[in-house]
Amino acid sequence: MANSRYDLVVIGSGPGGYVAAIRASQLKMRVAVIERDLPGGVCLNWGCIPSKALLNSAETMEAIRGAGAEHGIATGEITFDFKRVIARSRAAADKLSKGVRFLLRKNKIDYFEANASIAGPNTVALAPVAGKPAPPAEALAAERILLAAGSGERLLPGMTIGDGVMTSREALVHDRLPASIAIIGAGAIGAEFGYFYQAFGAKVAIIELEQQMLPGFDAEIAEELRRNFVKRGVNVMLGHGYKSLARDGAGWKVALEAGGKAAAVEAEAVLVAVGRGPLSRELGLDRAGIEADRAGYLKIDDSFRTTCPSIYAIGDVARPPLLAHKASAEGVAAVEIMAGVREPGFDLMNIPGCIYCEPEVACVGLSEAQARERGIEVKVGKFPFRANGKAVAVNQTEGFVKLVASKQYSEVLGCQIIGHHATDLISEIVLGRTLETTTLELGRSVHPHPTLSESIMEAALAAEGEAINF
Amino acid sequence: MSNEIVMPKLSDTMEEGKILRWLKHPGDAVHHGDALAEVETDKADMVMESFDDGVLAEIRLKEGETAKVGAVIAILRPAGAGAEASAANGGAEAKPAEVVAEPADEPEEATAIPSSGPRLAPIRPAAARKRRGAEADGENRPPRSAPRVVARVADRDEEPAAPAKGAIAGKVEAPPPEFHPALSAVRSAGPTAIPAPPARDLTIATPVSDVPATSGEAGKLRASPLARRAAEEAGIDIAHIRGSGPDGRITKRDVDNFIREQQLFKFRRLIAPREGMPGTREELSKMRKTIAHRMAQSKREIPHFYVTVEVDMEEAVKLKSSLEATELFEEDITYNDIIVKATALALSRYTRMNASYENDGIVIYPNINIGMAVAVEDGLIVPVIHECEHLTLPEIARAAHRLVNKAAHGGFTSEDLSGATFTISNMGMLNVEHFAAVIVPPQAGILAISAIKDRPVARNGQLAIGKTMMMTVACDHRIIDGVVGARFLNEVKRFLENPASLLV
Repeated sequence: MANSRYDLVVIGSGPGGYVAAIRASQLKMRVAVIERDLPGGVCLNWGCIPSKALLNSAETMEAIRGAGAEHGIATGEITFDFKRVIARSRAAADKLSKGVRFLLRKNKIDYFEANASIAGPNTVALAPVAGKPAPPAEALAAERILLAAGSGERLLPGMTIGDGVMTSREALVHDRLPASIAIIGAGAIGAEFGYFYQAFGAKVAIIELEQQMLPGFDAEIAEELRRNFVKRGVNVMLGHGYKSLARDGAGWKVALEAGGKAAAVEAEAVLVAVGRGPLSRELGLDRAGIEADRAGYLKIDDSFRTTCPSIYAIGDVARPPLLAHKASAEGVAAVEIMAGVREPGFDLMNIPGCIYCEPEVACVGLSEAQARERGIEVKVGKFPFRANGKAVAVNQTEGFVKLVASKQYSEVLGCQIIGHHATDLISEIVLGRTLETTTLELGRSVHPHPTLSESIMEAALAAEGEAINF
Repeated sequence: MSNEIVMPKLSDTMEEGKILRWLKHPGDAVHHGDALAEVETDKADMVMESFDDGVLAEIRLKEGETAKVGAVIAILRPAGAGAEASAANGGAEAKPAEVVAEPADEPEEATAIPSSGPRLAPIRPAAARKRRGAEADGENRPPRSAPRVVARVADRDEEPAAPAKGAIAGKVEAPPPEFHPALSAVRSAGPTAIPAPPARDLTIATPVSDVPATSGEAGKLRASPLARRAAEEAGIDIAHIRGSGPDGRITKRDVDNFIREQQLFKFRRLIAPREGMPGTREELSKMRKTIAHRMAQSKREIPHFYVTVEVDMEEAVKLKSSLEATELFEEDITYNDIIVKATALALSRYTRMNASYENDGIVIYPNINIGMAVAVEDGLIVPVIHECEHLTLPEIARAAHRLVNKAAHGGFTSEDLSGATFTISNMGMLNVEHFAAVIVPPQAGILAISAIKDRPVARNGQLAIGKTMMMTVACDHRIIDGVVGARFLNEVKRFLENPASLLV
């Protein structure tokens, strides 16, 4: 094996790495994937998938709770087994992880369970993972190396994990529902877990340094989400900076500061959801002259090439946004560029961002504010779900679609949606943007009635001042 | 039964067209909307599309040959009454409105149909045009052999279809005429002598893609709606753009790059004019031919005489820099704008300079439309600022800049290039000491502007260094005598030397 050289060795089997490996195999490359944890990476095992399973439990819980008042369907006393909730999410993750392993096998991709690091421009060193059998080789020779090592949870200074202090990773397997939880960070992870714990009856406080939830998202969308959370009973504390964390009886006391004034939140558990950072430091970058920026993201060019010409990087380890679908798309792009079947370049402006709490939030492209910052004259079309027939019928009337188009060409610059199934609805806009659609085509495409998707059509019409149903 | 395909009239001034290339060959199946041939007209290279289904039976006009508008250039045989043809046709028979009258043979009829704006793309009768938008994809994919994406600017016309008249089934129809009359009152203002440059240059129109379009099926044009919209707004025929997307699909970026490329190309051209290879013979381009004919006609028919004055530009220079310093106007004022304004004022006082000689009569134009000769690749165009008598200096600047922009982006409408009543040729930027220009018929004169230079001048009996400019007017002696020419020129000089008057 030491003599044989792989066309491509992929470090990491997350949604970036395993997808890139399969695409490379389709393009007739001989491929190996190295993973130190489970096939599928964080997304499948510690991120997207299990968290969506939990959110589905939360939605089910809410539906049952609302059954009497909304539908006149009587239920007895509602009880739940939180362990089963967590176990179900693990089962979903396990199933998909096994699926990835199967796909790799099916595509004749060699899979190594090992700690990988770069030994040189064309060599990857394999070290055993604690508690696992040693890998069959100490190193792999590779024509090219693809770094898809992903990202890890970020912590705040002076914080240690354990004893009720968790990141999303611990929370996903924490099978005892805390009576109260303080969530630091109101980004995607904070919002999703906030919704989840609230739905199961925990007392939830969400702490955010910025003046809005979902920093970086459209302010109107964020405010809609905040109002919704507050209505559900979540204590949303905006403009609160984290100071320190101290044991307080059986729980924790989070010291905060808001506008120069001290504040505090007491809770049984603390979830740190302050974002993620690239896992680039342990890769042995200096052995191949690979440069990273100060945040640890690897420097890559249009072809996903690092500063070492035989080594490429994609996904979270390369650059934000840290999103599974972005990593997959980059993985495919990188491999296709390597194989010469695709031109260099990758459009980062058409990556949808989604949050799966209820109401869901989804957006793509520029927000109104971002477009204006760039000096683009815009027209904005807004359509509320309360004016949508389907939304009324299924009693999911919260939220709206906001569509941003350029004044000059009616180009669809971006779209932000908050509401039921927002994350499914956004794909229409992504496709539209890929095809460089204008509001005219969106507005004239016949959308089935009654569906939530009609709201997209209406928002496109609204941008032109021609909405029919609002 | 066979149908004749005739040379279509692809622009209002087109009289004949040359087949650059046949895109279909005898025996090829032709569908409604297929590109048949590339045709060189006096204004641009254009693609001629078929308006019928059938089989190309015969080509009568070979590549490189020229024929008059209306001449039969090929024969189309209807495809056998097979189901395939009518299916591909999408029931065209059911839409008689798609067949229009044949304006090529009826120019008077043609002019009666108003034009809503620039129609860079020829090809489609208005009746067949559809509203831009979801169903706007009347465009058809080029045939397998086509080297570039054939398209047309997305239609902006939303006017009702032109009534079908004298429909001749199977005939290739000329498009509705693109009639942009010069200001209606200016009947005698002839079309601009020197036409627009060919919009397409072979160096730009490189093959689109090696990927063949799927087996000849009549598909949709491969251009994004946004790209179409952007091309339309920039006045570019999207057919000239090379697509970089899947299978040569044209994206917005391709349009942007095309515009940039064009500008770059223009710049390169200006610094390195193309010269012919020694010892070779080159056929004249349509544009060169037109220039040759018009200029020879001018010198043959118009008795030119010339008057030259030296203008002290000291004050004009000061005016320009003080306008720049104070940013009083949104637009930067150029010397050219100042000269146009001064000329317009002088023309309003010497109306015979703004006239034309016609059948032993002199027709004085009601408006002052000043053309500015602009060099382009191997030729000239003369964009026109209309009704200068009503324009203030900043308005002239704005109009001139708009035209300069269009020169860069290729977005001239025919109105931009016609209706001039007087022309200015400015070689100031070319460091010219003095020159005289040839009158553009049927105008009465042309003003030749040379460079502003430091020259010795006498001021209050003292020798000084001043900024002066030579200016020569060529006049049609049939209309004007020396005295009028001299007075007119001195009037221009007076305005330039007292430029505060130009601000009023």
